[in-house]
Amino acid sequence: MPGIGKMSLDNMFCTRCGDGFETNEKIVNSNGELWHTNCFVCAQCFRVFPDGVYYDFEGRKYCERDFQVLFAPCCGKCREFVIGRVIKAMNANWHPACFRCEECNMELADAGFIKNAGRALCHGCNTRIKADGLQNYMCHKCHGVIDGEPLRYRGEVYHGYHFTCATCGVELDHTAREVKNRPGYAANDVNNLFCLRCHDKMGIPICGACRRPIEERIVTALGKHWHVEHFVCAKCEKPFHGHRHYEKKGLAYCEQHYHQLFGNLCYVCNQVIAGDVFTALNKAWCVHHFSCSVCDTALSTRSKFYEYDERPACRRCYERFPAELRRRLRRAHHYTLRRN
Amino acid sequence: MSKAKKVIEEAKEINNPEIDLVDKGISSLDEIPGLFSLENITRLTLSHNKLQVVPAGLANLMNLEILNLTNNHIEELPVSLSSLPKLRILNVSLNRLYALPRGFGAFPVLEILDCTYNNLKETTLPGNFFMMESLRALYLGDNDFEYLPAEIGNLKNLQILSMRENDLIEVPRELGQLTRLRELHLQGNRLVVLPPEIGFLELASNKSVLRLEGNFWVPPIEDQLKLGPSHVLDYLRSETYRVLYSRHMSAKPPPPPQTLDKSKKASRMR
Ligand SMILES: [Zn+2]
Ligand SMILES: [Zn+2]
Ligand SMILES: [Zn+2]
Ligand SMILES: [Zn+2]
Ligand SMILES: [Zn+2]
Ligand SMILES: [Zn+2]
Ligand SMILES: [Zn+2]
Ligand SMILES: [Zn+2]
Repeated sequence: MPGIGKMSLDNMFCTRCGDGFETNEKIVNSNGELWHTNCFVCAQCFRVFPDGVYYDFEGRKYCERDFQVLFAPCCGKCREFVIGRVIKAMNANWHPACFRCEECNMELADAGFIKNAGRALCHGCNTRIKADGLQNYMCHKCHGVIDGEPLRYRGEVYHGYHFTCATCGVELDHTAREVKNRPGYAANDVNNLFCLRCHDKMGIPICGACRRPIEERIVTALGKHWHVEHFVCAKCEKPFHGHRHYEKKGLAYCEQHYHQLFGNLCYVCNQVIAGDVFTALNKAWCVHHFSCSVCDTALSTRSKFYEYDERPACRRCYERFPAELRRRLRRAHHYTLRRN
Repeated sequence: MSKAKKVIEEAKEINNPEIDLVDKGISSLDEIPGLFSLENITRLTLSHNKLQVVPAGLANLMNLEILNLTNNHIEELPVSLSSLPKLRILNVSLNRLYALPRGFGAFPVLEILDCTYNNLKETTLPGNFFMMESLRALYLGDNDFEYLPAEIGNLKNLQILSMRENDLIEVPRELGQLTRLRELHLQGNRLVVLPPEIGFLELASNKSVLRLEGNFWVPPIEDQLKLGPSHVLDYLRSETYRVLYSRHMSAKPPPPPQTLDKSKKASRMR
């Protein structure tokens, strides 16, 4: 056994389980680390390596299957795993043979490529297209070239004739209007396309703040519609931009100002806490409701309590928990202390 | 006069709306005459007794907001409880429930449901369980769930979900729809991966709780967990993880072994 010849069995230990070895026991030696044959297993499935083949990655060993499932990159074209040479380009991974010019299909791995309007092109095609001067759009649906103006829909470009008006059904062209919002729907719940005539006849929502029509993203709250940038905290006037807002007496507030103005919500009664606030375990309680979650006995600031699923349990209740539960809770508690 | 009877008499006299009958050795509510006629009470706490049966008549207490039955010997609940029009908090933890009755999910305003430490699992929940949209906290720790039904996504107001120490093999992507969730306990299960959607929940702030320890996480999650739960959330949002997750879900490896020995649980006693 090279490498461990002179060591005595007494100070040899298994890398995985830390135990020693029996005399005459078969020992796996991998780069100077020793293992019981049973311990030399895949870090993910804990099974012995088929045919002894393993992959060493970030200090752990994996069987081939698990290594591929966990870490091997996936080709952006054929979606198969890429083993061996990986081409990293265009925010994806590729087999060398799968990464090709999107105009002439030439392999780009060694020739190099140029990014042109989101496409990978060889130098020749890039120069030619630039010279042509007109960057034709490619239809997102049929991948054909679009002559003239494209129809824009959900951030992509299309031939107009792939779509019809959501109201009258007429075939569309580039003048079609995309409506992202309608009263009663959340932003982007509906993306519909309309011909110009039908679009002009539709009721477009009006912003509750500036009273102008809302063509873009819309917020529906407090029974009104708002431009995203006009739906703001009543105190600091900053837009919520999709962050949670709190309503009170017909006004909306950001979390910070809601709590500043109206205080915390009690965990038990779910009401804004007017007087003294008890805070513990990421929760707040009103004076009347700070109590043991098991027996509902009131607790005071000086009461000793135990944490139980992030709720307080009084000593008397904790001691009445089944012993095996207390043992587990104690272990979990140590674990949290160590972690934080 | 028994201690329990005395409590009732006193409550009647001073019109006390909150009744505490904790640790009174009660084995049947029939022993407490007059209890069901206290129609004005808002809280009834019966923790640490020996109740095996909850009589359907308890639903006469139309004004109950809080019903606490923690640590009894209850094996079955009457469906009539679900008709209590004002019940906001129901605590049936530390009992011997193997199932919840059909139609149980009909509570009109229930906010906190605590079923911790029973013998419940996904197959013994009633069909309407996840229709309790008013729930803000659901405690199902110390039960026998292997899967969390996708309908959990209906509980839009949920802020707290505890599945501590079940047998969970998988949690559904729909968990990501619970945008108000601020406390998620998944420690002590058999989980290997998490849906990437969890990464977008607000579980990393100083007012949030995310417990993940004691599972069978894939090594990259386990590594991030050593740095803290917020690092796990960052990692779940990454493109690398999205690929890992979809591969894992299509490879469908056998679930990790069951590790908790539940035979000694008090909820298993017969
Ligand atoms: Zn393996
Ligand atoms: Zn490929
Ligand atoms: Zn097209
Ligand atoms: Zn039209
Ligand atoms: Zn506006
Ligand atoms: Zn503000
Ligand atoms: Zn309160
Ligand atoms: Zn207590």
